[in-house]
Amino acid sequence: MPDYDAIVVGAGNAGSAAAITMASKGLSVLLVDRSDPPGAKNLSGGVLWGNDLAQILPKWQSEAPLERFIQDKKIGFLTDNSSIVIDFKTKIFEENKVGHTVLRSKFDPWLAKKAKEAGATVIPGITVESLATKDGKIVGVVESGDVITASVVILAEGINPRLAIEAGLREPLQDWEVSVGVKEIIKLSPQKIEDRFNLTSTSGMASEYILGNLQELNVGAFFYTNKDSISLGIVAPMEQLRANGVTHTYDIIEQFKEHPSIAPLIEGGTVAEYGAHMIPEGGMDMVPKLYGNGYMIVGDAAGFGFSNGLVLQGMNYAFLSGMLAGETAVEAKAKNDFSDNSLALYRQKLESSYVLKDLKTFKDIRKVTNNKNMYTTYPKMLEGILLEMLWERGQPKKKVRDILGSCAADLKMSKLKTATDFYYIYRRM
Amino acid sequence: MILDIKERLGKTKYDIDKSYAHITVDDRICEKCPHNFCVMACPAQCYTMQDGKLNFQYEDCVECGTCSVACDQGSVKWNYPKAGKGVIYKYG
Amino acid sequence: MLKIAVMIKQVPDSQDISIDPVTKTLNRSMARNVVNPPDVNATEAAIQLKDKYGGEITVITMGPPMADTALLQLMGMGADSGILATDRVFAGADTWPTAFTLASVADYLGGFDVIFCGEETTDSSTGHVGPGIAEFLGCEQATYVHKVEYEDGHFIVNRDIEGAEETIKIGRPAVITITLNANEPRNPTLKRKIGAYKKGIRVVTNKELQLDPSCIGLKGSPTIVKDMKTVPDPVKNPTKLGVEEIDKLVSALVEKGVVK
Repeated sequence: MPDYDAIVVGAGNAGSAAAITMASKGLSVLLVDRSDPPGAKNLSGGVLWGNDLAQILPKWQSEAPLERFIQDKKIGFLTDNSSIVIDFKTKIFEENKVGHTVLRSKFDPWLAKKAKEAGATVIPGITVESLATKDGKIVGVVESGDVITASVVILAEGINPRLAIEAGLREPLQDWEVSVGVKEIIKLSPQKIEDRFNLTSTSGMASEYILGNLQELNVGAFFYTNKDSISLGIVAPMEQLRANGVTHTYDIIEQFKEHPSIAPLIEGGTVAEYGAHMIPEGGMDMVPKLYGNGYMIVGDAAGFGFSNGLVLQGMNYAFLSGMLAGETAVEAKAKNDFSDNSLALYRQKLESSYVLKDLKTFKDIRKVTNNKNMYTTYPKMLEGILLEMLWERGQPKKKVRDILGSCAADLKMSKLKTATDFYYIYRRM
Repeated sequence: MILDIKERLGKTKYDIDKSYAHITVDDRICEKCPHNFCVMACPAQCYTMQDGKLNFQYEDCVECGTCSVACDQGSVKWNYPKAGKGVIYKYG
Repeated sequence: MLKIAVMIKQVPDSQDISIDPVTKTLNRSMARNVVNPPDVNATEAAIQLKDKYGGEITVITMGPPMADTALLQLMGMGADSGILATDRVFAGADTWPTAFTLASVADYLGGFDVIFCGEETTDSSTGHVGPGIAEFLGCEQATYVHKVEYEDGHFIVNRDIEGAEETIKIGRPAVITITLNANEPRNPTLKRKIGAYKKGIRVVTNKELQLDPSCIGLKGSPTIVKDMKTVPDPVKNPTKLGVEEIDKLVSALVEKGVVK
């Protein structure tokens, strides 16, 4: 008899969701996290979409330590001098309150506590050293020479999955599979935040930008409001950094903060924390075999994340994949079959959910996020068009068609090249 | 508002494990590295060039794993710290 | 086989405590709870003693129910069981009723051959509780100890005294307080932690102990805090010069003609 039905390694969103799903169905679950309290080493940009969470914790909106609900969503481009932003404010966000900013060091310990309440044994402050294998099967985890066994091990170790790599369950990460996320927490009083961003005491703003001011480097940035702080940061694809990087990652974030449209927003604030985290960017191509004899891989460890340069999501994929792995384990327990064949159900569940559907739909998105024009030429082109249209300079006005033509010519882009490029971006996004 | 990286890292909390380096590098490999990309990629300035030689310290590491990908020469050996030691995010 | 106790306290991590710039009071709202650091050294000393001479270790704390995680962590290192003395009537205690309550718990549990404590806590730094327990129990004591041996029913301990080290022999039962960094505490292991979580913590309330309410908690505390002042940080205080600014000081003195 194994010690547990399931061992979950990692108390992030995916791991805790899996543990809650299994423990609430009566499975004996051990959830191990390397941080104490569990989850307190985790970091993400900070917008959580809670549709999936609501399935396992219906009262999450009132119970979870959330910061502000997203009432205002902005996406835009920054160039050296300008910012071009779409400001989307909708009553629909206000009525649903599904998107929230969160601080993971507060949220994740709460979620792990929910796993404990559901009946899981939650052990904090322990780093699992390796996976125990027997006859080609994962049978448990190893720590300080002790083997703790389980019918199934769920790997929720995050974007740097050392156990899975060491056990040969996935290849070491490659440049194209990840971005480097660098983040700062800037303390600012709730009063200033609410005045500056036109918010109430509970509503919040989330902005994502394409940085068009970094020459050859395709970098995205985010700016989110918390209760009494700002989460801001940059997302730099490793491939880009290696090929075109001229600045240290820790300096790129300061360039973002210095931008004329960002600096006034954090004026008077103080840096309270600095951190970094990798982000899965490889889409469907980086997803490993997700299950096998005695194991399943969930969340960031499986490469589940979505980014198209303007939208960045991962926590929702983590919740859902964790829950689906949990459900699979519950069914496997009923059949008393934790073989590769039985756990294939996890993959099927993912296929019919938005997790793998999204990754398949957007399988070519890296061609967009890798398209240099997206980060250099087009922001400048947009800036040029807007300057022509919106800036009265006492000169004869031009038609939009002519403005577009002259801006494209200034940036050495043919109309045909621009048109085909737009067509492909449109198709892939 | 713009702060030196050392000052920013000073805002982040750590419980440093003085008896265990969770990342090690192989100096012999680093000596021959054609690019030292780790220096640019590491967000915590754990990798620096000093007198033409790569210098590594793990104490400021925020455990992002970037160097494990950035190093394509097989020099970086990466493990998670033990017993909750290392970076402790207060916000995350 | 030695009966060993370790008296421990859960404290807010001193790294997380800041002074509120407006109210000038301690801000603990962001503080993570940890085991008082020298108490971890005390536990390690207890485990080393057990490893060498055999014995059973009980970790004991007085505190709120959430202090159980501190006990579980130390059981993960190798302590055999955990006792949490928790009761509303224990709350608000200064060092006198704390020592009294903990000594009473030790007595209630049948007494110990040796009780380890940390030298002091990081949140109040009195160093009273260890010696207080020794006095209430009427046993021998050694404070600021970094090394413990056991020989013929006696403990031979090495104490830190200012500028020197003292080796003394004390009888049994004894209270020994251990200095911060006296040893290198081992990490808890997964297996031991699982064992600790399975075994759980024994909770002791005053219903069991039946201590006189006037001797415990806030009622039993003779200390009255009259006032608290925040001392300005000398480095940040422009009216005083820090060591780093010695050059400024020298040039100021040269300028005024005090030195040439």
